[in-house]
Amino acid sequence: MELILQSIINGLIQGGFFALFAVGLVLIFGVMGVVNFAHGELVMVGAYTVWLLHAQNGIPFIPVILIAIILVTVIGLLMERFLFRPTCNDPLAGLICSIGILFILQVLATVVGGDGPSKQVPPPYQGTLILFDFLRVPYQRVFSFFVSAAGLGTLWYFLTRTKLGWALRAVALDREASALQGININRISMIAIGVGGALAGLAGALMAPLTNINPHMGHNVIITAFIVTIVGGVGSLSGAVIAAVIYALFHTFITVYFGGVIATICGLLLMVVVLIIKPTGIMGVRVSE
Amino acid sequence: MKITRRDFLKKTATGVALAGVSAGLPVNVFANEKTIKIGMNIPMTGDYAPWGLPGLYGCEIIANDINAAGGVRIGNTDYKIEMISFDHAYDTEKTIQGYKKLVLEDGVKMVMMLGGSTVSSILPWAQRKKMLTTTLLPSDITPKSEYLIATCESHPLYNVTGVEWLAENFPDAKTAVIVTNNDVEWGLQSASTYKAAFEVAGIKVVDVNLHGFDVTDFAPIVSSVLAKKPDIFCMATSFYTTPLMEQLYHQGFKGKIISCTLDYYNEVIAKTSKEFVNGTIFQFPDFNDPALLQEGIHFPDPNGFDAKFRKDHPNDWSAVAWEYPAILLNWIEGAKAAGSIEPTEVLKTLKSNKKPNFVFGGGRWWGSKLWGLDNAIVGRWPVVVIEDGKARIKEFRSLTGWLDKNSDVLIKHMKALGLHTV
Amino acid sequence: MKIIIRLLKIIAVIIFLAGLIVLPHYLKFHYQDLLIFLTVNVLVVASYRIVTLTGEWSLIHAVMMGVGAYTAALLFKNFNLAIWFTLPLAGGMAGLIAALLSFPLFRMTQFYFLIGSFAAGEAIRLTWMQFIVPFGGSGGLSGIEPPMIGSIDFMDPIPYYYLALGVVSACLFILYRIEKSRIGLTLHAVHWKAPLAQSVGVDTWRYRALAFIIGSFFVGIAGALKIHYLGTITPNQFGIGFMVFILIWVIVGGYNTIFGPVIGVVVLTIFDESVRGFGELRPAIYGGVLIISILFLPLGLESIYTKFLTLCGIGGNSSDGPPP
Repeated sequence: MELILQSIINGLIQGGFFALFAVGLVLIFGVMGVVNFAHGELVMVGAYTVWLLHAQNGIPFIPVILIAIILVTVIGLLMERFLFRPTCNDPLAGLICSIGILFILQVLATVVGGDGPSKQVPPPYQGTLILFDFLRVPYQRVFSFFVSAAGLGTLWYFLTRTKLGWALRAVALDREASALQGININRISMIAIGVGGALAGLAGALMAPLTNINPHMGHNVIITAFIVTIVGGVGSLSGAVIAAVIYALFHTFITVYFGGVIATICGLLLMVVVLIIKPTGIMGVRVSE
Repeated sequence: MKITRRDFLKKTATGVALAGVSAGLPVNVFANEKTIKIGMNIPMTGDYAPWGLPGLYGCEIIANDINAAGGVRIGNTDYKIEMISFDHAYDTEKTIQGYKKLVLEDGVKMVMMLGGSTVSSILPWAQRKKMLTTTLLPSDITPKSEYLIATCESHPLYNVTGVEWLAENFPDAKTAVIVTNNDVEWGLQSASTYKAAFEVAGIKVVDVNLHGFDVTDFAPIVSSVLAKKPDIFCMATSFYTTPLMEQLYHQGFKGKIISCTLDYYNEVIAKTSKEFVNGTIFQFPDFNDPALLQEGIHFPDPNGFDAKFRKDHPNDWSAVAWEYPAILLNWIEGAKAAGSIEPTEVLKTLKSNKKPNFVFGGGRWWGSKLWGLDNAIVGRWPVVVIEDGKARIKEFRSLTGWLDKNSDVLIKHMKALGLHTV
Repeated sequence: MKIIIRLLKIIAVIIFLAGLIVLPHYLKFHYQDLLIFLTVNVLVVASYRIVTLTGEWSLIHAVMMGVGAYTAALLFKNFNLAIWFTLPLAGGMAGLIAALLSFPLFRMTQFYFLIGSFAAGEAIRLTWMQFIVPFGGSGGLSGIEPPMIGSIDFMDPIPYYYLALGVVSACLFILYRIEKSRIGLTLHAVHWKAPLAQSVGVDTWRYRALAFIIGSFFVGIAGALKIHYLGTITPNQFGIGFMVFILIWVIVGGYNTIFGPVIGVVVLTIFDESVRGFGELRPAIYGGVLIISILFLPLGLESIYTKFLTLCGIGGNSSDGPPP
């Protein structure tokens, strides 16, 4: 029983991260129609920023998080301007370009951090919160959870309560109609990838003290993001968040009882099953042609 | 908290890579002298770099010392030693490429390797070319691999010594859990050995968690095994000792921790606390340990070696830093005794010595019971414990003793995990 | 004029073939090995092209090569079957798995198919990693040897090269014929004019699946071919890393004709060797090449050849692009 509750807590915290990356990916795909294969590497850049500036050079954690967010956002904007915009008519080309960026970012990480074992960032918030005598949650994770939730909350507010947010949703729903309404598609694309990048950078920065940092860490991120995106529904942001939490719990529980590799295999199979049975996912309404 | 060792490893590794690693790094080549070329087909970049690159540094120190003293006399000739390295980054295809290059193009007389799937991939070539090859993992030996020997490290066998020592000194510890990565050559071999050792010591293993390399979050795994309330947490030969120790600390584990390696334990202390890490048991000494000055230790000036290493490569010391040098020294002694540098001759001479030289003394050729050939040297092995934030050798225990009595138990556990034995 | 062009083309081809046969004798050991792997990779990209003929890009091709390789490895290790048997059986197994996967995968198109094929491939690869029996887990399997016939030891690079060259040439010939046959034409129709094809009774699902199965069959053979020379197989050889290389070779080379991907893999492999000295930076250079290629040469390297021909006033009729 204790194990189950502990696993639920662990799962929810993981869900926070998964939601951050998946929502970013969905935003980019929904608004721009392009699959950003380099999304995992964007998260990696966020994590490396924390390692380099905070762990190696002692700059305080919170400012470094902001720097990470800004840095990844800028990278996203550059990608939009120079890669995705010229190839906007051919999504496959855009995808291939993102693969090119994937390689470049990975090598950049190797050069900055060196090869060798994974880097570790000592958690800025030490100590563990103990609830009911047996539930243990390190303060670092508590912090990450609340910040992720805050990030997602801010996004929700932006999308539902601001004009810009509505414009974004409009473009995701129907590009042509939005253009006819006078919405500047290029500008909206930039905002979409900017936000997606910001979320990825935030996720990376929050994950940094909790995980192994190495040039290949993006691999798992992208797989998770795909699974969550598909299960949640490709066009749907709320679907992505819900799916993120469900998948995180699913993955955590299977890891606990059967091991990590089996959990990932199950995740992939789950994704295939969803694609077969209900390709629009839990919440998706749009099936792209 | 600056962690500069990684910086250093990165700078040297990058420099090495950019200098065109495959061209080799000759050490002290003297135009008019006769030179023996020794090949190192090891990972110098990538995840396994800490178990390759520091070994090269160590060998260079040894080679420089020998060359400065005029070289080594084998037969009637004085030779200088030249180390030629190839970085395979633990990729099978590159390993084969590197091996062929070292043997066919560079003309080395011995190839030192790390071990695991990279060694399995070159075995057919080693046999065909009759090239003496060394590994750190006796588990690579097969009944047909005559040219493969493991003359220093005997992973995973020596892990039993730590368990023996723990059982003797902490008789109240009765239950254990094992958490390690699920790859065949490191994690599983190690896990099976620890299971056997626990069984022999009368300790019950209540849970085993073998996880993949893609795990980023160790919290659920550690929670899961700690739920069984073990007295002992065993990390076998995990690549993730640092995050695991962190989790144990955060989740309030108060029992005994035992592992095969504990590389970069200073970082672990930084992430947790000295009090928490004190008492952790593992198998790899720092070479500035005074215990190494005892009788029966077969390594020239270990404290001096340690000092030189830390001066040139301040933060790169790892478990293998002294092992490859020990293998090199072992080879040199074999060549001297054989009066020849040819692989077949050296191999014959080494194998014919019933009491081969072994770093920690008490060496014997062993292995046919498990792997078909007596091509591994086993002897005494140190049990190391962290005391006051430093690794200190507590005792040298006889591995041969344990193996003579209990190899059947070991075979049983290896087979249970699907590992190859004869 | 046309006859002279034709003659020139035939002479060029003969010189080329002769060159291929003599080449290994002039190379060092190391490059002989690379030549063998290059030959195998030519088959890999040519077989991928057949899959993409229907307009669906899968991310499972590398894993299919692995299926062929593992099949050959297991057949050799457990039943001692020689390469002449393991090659077709490896292809057959890959084709079979492809057939089975067609059912779930081809219910999706485009983006979903891409992701679905990626997921299925990863799941298979993780299965190899997870189960030591029989796949050897993460360490894989080793000791897979090529045969000896009389005194010719196929473990030596030059004999094996001829073996590989022969097999790959035969396969390429078959693939070329398929593409030019009715089946090939139907595949094109499914790609460019699916509704029209359907309206004349073509079952698009079936043809997509067929292309996928054929492509998988041949890449399975390529996998077996590689593994018998290399001797060792690990799951990481067939992951997303290799799949990305395949994509790069096909896209940079162009996929208008069957020669495009071949040009791509040859040019890029040579390029790759020449930047070997850059060590860690190599993937970044590859990434850069990929991006530049997509942005500035979207039709691939082979389009340079086509443009050259057009410039000389010789129109080609090899254009399989979109109909007007």
